[in-house]
Amino acid sequence: MALGLNRHLLASGLPKELITACTTTTYQYPRHFSVLNRPLPNYEGHVPLTRLEKTGLAIGSAVYSLYNPYRADLIAALGEATATPYFIYRLRDAMLSDPTGRRILRDRPRISSKTLSMEHLRSLPENSVGRTYVGWLDREGVSPDTRDSVKYIDDEECAYVMQRYRECHDLYHALTGLPIFREGEIALKAFEFANTLLPMTGMSLASVITLKPTERKRFFQIYLPWAMDNGVKSKEVINIYWEEQLGRNVESLRVELGIDKPVDMRDIRKKDRARRKAEKEAKERSGDSLGIN
Amino acid sequence: MKSPNLRPRNLGEYVCSNCTRQLRRQRRTYATTTLASPSNLDIYDIVCVGGGPAGLSLLAALRSNPLTSRLRIALIESQSLSPTRTFSLPSTQFSNRCSSLTPSSVRFLKDIGAWQHVQRERVQPYSEMRVWDGVSGTSIDFAVPEQEMGVGGVVAYMNENLNLTQGLLRRVEELGGVEVIEGETVENIRLGSDTTNGDFSSWPVLRTNSGRELAARLLVGADGGNSPVRAFAGIESRGWDYERFGVVATLKMEGEGWGGNARKIAYQRFLPTGPVACLPMPGNHCTLVWSTTPELAQKLKSLSPTDFVALVNAAFRLGVTDLKYLHTLESGQEEEVSWREQHTPFSAEQVPQKVVGVQEGSVAMFPLKFRHADTYIGQRVALIGDAAHTTHPLAGQGLNQGQGDVEALANTVSYSVEHGMDIGVRMNLESYESERYAKNHLLMGVVDKLHKLYATENPGVVGIRSLGLRAVNRLDGVKGFFMRQASGTGEKLL
Repeated sequence: MALGLNRHLLASGLPKELITACTTTTYQYPRHFSVLNRPLPNYEGHVPLTRLEKTGLAIGSAVYSLYNPYRADLIAALGEATATPYFIYRLRDAMLSDPTGRRILRDRPRISSKTLSMEHLRSLPENSVGRTYVGWLDREGVSPDTRDSVKYIDDEECAYVMQRYRECHDLYHALTGLPIFREGEIALKAFEFANTLLPMTGMSLASVITLKPTERKRFFQIYLPWAMDNGVKSKEVINIYWEEQLGRNVESLRVELGIDKPVDMRDIRKKDRARRKAEKEAKERSGDSLGIN
Repeated sequence: MKSPNLRPRNLGEYVCSNCTRQLRRQRRTYATTTLASPSNLDIYDIVCVGGGPAGLSLLAALRSNPLTSRLRIALIESQSLSPTRTFSLPSTQFSNRCSSLTPSSVRFLKDIGAWQHVQRERVQPYSEMRVWDGVSGTSIDFAVPEQEMGVGGVVAYMNENLNLTQGLLRRVEELGGVEVIEGETVENIRLGSDTTNGDFSSWPVLRTNSGRELAARLLVGADGGNSPVRAFAGIESRGWDYERFGVVATLKMEGEGWGGNARKIAYQRFLPTGPVACLPMPGNHCTLVWSTTPELAQKLKSLSPTDFVALVNAAFRLGVTDLKYLHTLESGQEEEVSWREQHTPFSAEQVPQKVVGVQEGSVAMFPLKFRHADTYIGQRVALIGDAAHTTHPLAGQGLNQGQGDVEALANTVSYSVEHGMDIGVRMNLESYESERYAKNHLLMGVVDKLHKLYATENPGVVGIRSLGLRAVNRLDGVKGFFMRQASGTGEKLL
């Protein structure tokens, strides 16, 4: 247990023996504290929350983000509030078991427009990871700086793991080739859930109810089976040192990780639209002919 | 045993003439007092094979008891005893083979007068024990209450095995009267024959590689795991190998321990590969016992001293995932550990102080086994110590079980002598077996289950065992019961 625990407990004026008796486990953080006695932050930007506060945050952000999926801050908060216990530690341990993952944890690289030069990315070859990534950013008009900092995870190392996952999310788009409109986003979340086991990614799948019937059918028939299969069998994507892979061909990276590129969603949608349009026209035509008769 | 009316002459029509002759000869060997030994056959009341802690304790116990001090006793040890006799190291060095002695074993050693011959400045009592789960971090503390601290309240004593055997040997030599045959191996053991000087057909006769023959009224096997005596008696020893090795080393710490010299603490952490223990020795020293898989043990042994020290520090501090990774590295553990320590939450005072060095040449390993002989006794045979049972070192009970055996056997022999009974007859040895077998079996079973319970990372099992450990830690009565049982001063269970 950290000294922080003792400091706060000792301040509470309890007998020393009682404190020692209650601190027999090696948890770093007090498992219970009151809102009137909030501990000091463990890292810059950390907001220590009680269990009740975390539960409230999880429920509130879950309900409201389902209602308004564009509230990225709420999705982020949901991710942090539900990452403990277990899940974020599991992801951290997955990184610690892998030499590259360990290197990432040691270097703690951050992805932002400051660390990645957009000009450099644009100069990379057509099918490279970096070029694909910058393609996403340009098309959607977002920058890597729009990612929030992690606030509610108590362990500073786990907070970094969450941050890394969040900052790499756009690169996962590049890796899987899934687009960023709602249908693609949900398919990617399903893949992330199978791969990282973070509960927020699983909960996001609830928004499948907001999809159109044809999209939902496509999700269950094509993308969900693909996501589960690939997410489980491929290597942990959190262990990719993206900064070192930017110049690499996306396809060769996919092969190394064991990911099959899913059917191109934009293609399917285009074809589907074309088919429906053709059907509609055909119907209209036959309707016209009926009208004539 | 023979009934007087069973005269050979009357048996003529039922027994062949050859056997009748034998029976007639046996009648003449009735009085044992007139036994004259044939040229090369020495007759002893007790022949003890094996001069380890168990064998030597038995000799000291028998010789120091007035009832049994007149018995004719021989000791056969295959190694030379002079390294034991001359064992002497500077106070900054310790042998890597150490054992914990419970207060009950020390009381026995005092009774037989051996404890005063042990180099006491090399013995380290400790009064607190911290044990924790490497996966969940749940811990349990066994501490002697403050009020008992002044009056010799200890959990156990750490001692070098050589220091103990030296003390025992000194005591045996002080008492005298034991024929010590060292540096000779037992070539074979067979039953004796019926000679004109006596009927040795139920007596084991040992033949050493120098051609000496010893007949034993009672043959005691204190000859370790692969006991030749046990093989002679046809006693099966059953069990399994743990597929683990115990890695031992003498460590130099940064200080005397968190409790200072007056309150030494023993530490043990259960890792999924096996428990790792850091046990206090005098001064800034500790002895390490790390049970781990054969591959990892080999790996540990091959590491450079700095990386070995780093990995030992890591074993008490870092997470299971980190340790797994560190084992895969060829070198550079030190750098990796110092980075991970910054990001792993642990309280410095809840784990052993930092290890700063390892004594040169002290890293060694031995395989861990579970073995229990079907029985400890046979006709004119008794097994003690490792010859009877081998257990996992996680509870530090192996040597103490041996001491318990010795005390029980010495009492049994003394009782037989006092009542004029033959000390070697199986029936007269029964009380030794009945006193020890179930007791040892229970303890070994508990130790075995503990090993198995902690050898898993299954979250369900980890949760339940952590809950159980926390409960025991809070229930002083239950904790006290386990503590008294472990120190050998508890209520008699069996």
